[in-house]
Amino acid sequence: MGKYLAKRILFSIFSLLVVVLVVMMLVYSLIDRNVIFQTDDLWNKKSGNDQTYYEYSQWQKYGYLTMTGYSSFLKTKYQALLGDDYVNDANYNADLAAIKSKSNYEKNESIKEFIAEYEGKGYEIKYLERETYKSGRMQGKEKPGYGAYLFAVRENNPFQRLWLYIKGLFTVETVNDVKDTNLTERYIRFEKDPYSGGFAIVGSGTTHKYLLYFDGRFPFIHQNFIHLNLGTSYTKYRGSEITQVITTPQGALDVRTQQYPNMIGTDEYVETAIDFHSLTYNSATREEDRALYPDNYTTSVYHTKGLSMLENSFVIGLAAVIIAYLIGLPLGILMARRKDKLADKIGNLYIIFIMAVPSLAYIFMFAAIGTRVFNLPYKFANAEIIFLAYILPTVSLALRDIGGLMKWMRRYMIDQMNSDYVKFARAEGLSEGEIYRTHISRNALIFIVHGIPGSIIGCLTGAIITERVYAVPGVGNLLTNAINGHDNGIIVACTVFYTSLSILSIILGDLLLAKYDPRISLSDSKGGGR
Amino acid sequence: MNIQELQNKKQDDLFYFIGNDAVESEKIIAPRYSYWKSVFRVFFHKKINIVLLVLLGLILFSSFVMPLIWQYDPYENVRDAAAKNLSPAKAMEYFGGFSFKYLLGTGQFGNSIFYGIFASARTSLLLSIICAAINMTVGILMGAVWGYSKKVDAVMLVIYNIIANVPYILLISVLVYVIGSGFGSFIFALTITGWLSIAFFFRTQVMVIRDREYSLASRCLGTPIPRMVSRNILPFLTSVIVTLLATELPSYISMEVFLSFIGIGLSADIPSLGQMINSAQSAFLTFPWAFWAPVAVASAITVILYVLGQNLADASDPRTHM
Repeated sequence: MGKYLAKRILFSIFSLLVVVLVVMMLVYSLIDRNVIFQTDDLWNKKSGNDQTYYEYSQWQKYGYLTMTGYSSFLKTKYQALLGDDYVNDANYNADLAAIKSKSNYEKNESIKEFIAEYEGKGYEIKYLERETYKSGRMQGKEKPGYGAYLFAVRENNPFQRLWLYIKGLFTVETVNDVKDTNLTERYIRFEKDPYSGGFAIVGSGTTHKYLLYFDGRFPFIHQNFIHLNLGTSYTKYRGSEITQVITTPQGALDVRTQQYPNMIGTDEYVETAIDFHSLTYNSATREEDRALYPDNYTTSVYHTKGLSMLENSFVIGLAAVIIAYLIGLPLGILMARRKDKLADKIGNLYIIFIMAVPSLAYIFMFAAIGTRVFNLPYKFANAEIIFLAYILPTVSLALRDIGGLMKWMRRYMIDQMNSDYVKFARAEGLSEGEIYRTHISRNALIFIVHGIPGSIIGCLTGAIITERVYAVPGVGNLLTNAINGHDNGIIVACTVFYTSLSILSIILGDLLLAKYDPRISLSDSKGGGR
Repeated sequence: MNIQELQNKKQDDLFYFIGNDAVESEKIIAPRYSYWKSVFRVFFHKKINIVLLVLLGLILFSSFVMPLIWQYDPYENVRDAAAKNLSPAKAMEYFGGFSFKYLLGTGQFGNSIFYGIFASARTSLLLSIICAAINMTVGILMGAVWGYSKKVDAVMLVIYNIIANVPYILLISVLVYVIGSGFGSFIFALTITGWLSIAFFFRTQVMVIRDREYSLASRCLGTPIPRMVSRNILPFLTSVIVTLLATELPSYISMEVFLSFIGIGLSADIPSLGQMINSAQSAFLTFPWAFWAPVAVASAITVILYVLGQNLADASDPRTHM
């Protein structure tokens, strides 16, 4: 069993990598890379060489290419020779200015060195010439945006991109994360946590102050040792990591009566929304913060009243799944028992409605009924958690899932009803209720069980239409928005996220199935495998 | 002894002997059975199917013929600000009296919703028929080979496990983006991997039949593989194919609606149900006529196709022919 699982997990990781590679190829090579500037205001404001240079630097950020500027080449060269004083060196400044005119550019030794070194590495040298006004009042002056640029560019191939991605996937916090030389103590230790009343693992020299702590938010125990970075958004959530984006609470600030770290032990309290568990190192701590904090861990985020994107989707999805199983399965059994009777016919009508009608149509229908008839809030407001706003999305999802579950439960029940063991049970004189309860539904459930982990884990990916219709701030539209906004970082992150979840749910489904039905053996070696 | 003699012999008896007939005894008499005849007998036995067929015919006729008579131009009133988003009553008042054209009011460009629906339904129907035809043909042929040959199975399973994990929306949107959002490229995007899931479903069915005793016997007698597939396996799966078709056909209409809704559907100059729904969805409470009309048509088409398909699938199962 263990060997079987290990083999499957290995294959899953392999196929995950291939999927990411395929998606990267699709996204990076098939889509015109200029589209990322369509929605970019900064690009619009720039012109000439500035714009071209900006394009290359953006492409580097997006992972299309690797690029090195001439100035950073000079910096490393002179820093090695002269130390930190290189900025004032005459040769350095002469070399730096050499790119400004074509004649100096061709003569300069440093430039030749730069070109030789990077051409040798397979880079392409880009030289954007300075342009000046040829005539008129401004003659000889630089045209705006047409300063000189010199840099080397190399395209990343898909495997390089994949490697860069994998390398950046996990980061572990250590006591040497903070580069500040003023920091004297570096440690990780247990300390009493004044904010939760319990204990916490606290670090100094690490990026976060609290590495492991407890609080009142789901999942109640939080860690900052290992960070998972699925990808960085460029356009939609400028520069933020996706994992951060989807797990950061949203909504209005939640102001509480709290104490700053230096106030602990006194009876001084302030009204603030700061989440003191989120403190991170800030080497440029402001003077006014020095009185409030004992150390340089002064950057923080705020407590908010809303849920994070992931939580929103999961809460709605999970509620819908639970409702769907509680209602859908009994209804499916009822339909099978009353086959071809009125209950079955009504149920079938509902199933046809859910299966055949575009889901968009009935979700809007539920929205119209919910708002007009039951007077429920239609659009989601995330300023505070309004319980009523969760009802319509949940019900919309549940009604859809109920249809699917009814259909399959009925199908499996009817398949089982003609089995020999049912006839035998009937011949033994068991009551119909007993037969349905303990014989048929149990066997029919075998097929249902396989889908349970998938439907729970699937809640994490959100629902596209439902979340759009009710303006739920969830994760469902992350991918579609990223596609429309050409945000490659999110596209790759979503692919990894969705793929791992779907692989995980299939494996868990198989395990649960094997647990529920002892006749099923997953590994071939055990028992009388065929 | 002939009958006359017998009758003479025992006039009052109800029973009598017949002699052996060498010619008659060589004939094998079985009830005449034609598969497709029985399918249609069972199918038309249900009155609802006739009603649905008539409705489907009506929809097909009106969506393929009516747009030729009622030319739909979404931008004909685009310069007229007063013509936008008019309710049916107001539109008729504005455009001077009763007309079929403004039976359902106007949309956000002042376009006629009623004419738009016919033109859109044609696009959606055409799209679903072409996509279903391509995906079903490729899927079934590939699935048959996939299920039959164990070597192909080993390779295809790996490919399937990988491709099935690439988010479908991503694949379609990238393709639509790269090759454009015209009608042809949209079909290409929907069919390039769309057949794979059909083939996978079909593979499992073929594998079950492949190992049945009668197939084994046929193989022992030396039946070549193409004949095995075409005569032993595919006929057995007719009802499975029809069931698949019943879910596939409406699914492309829903798919088009869904993709348009999330902004990666057909290009705006092709009238389609998805486009109409999408352009009206933001104000579905204020201008309900522009939203619910295409939704109702899309739902009606999908429901009719679905129910007809399911009933045909039921009828094509030989067990219902008794």
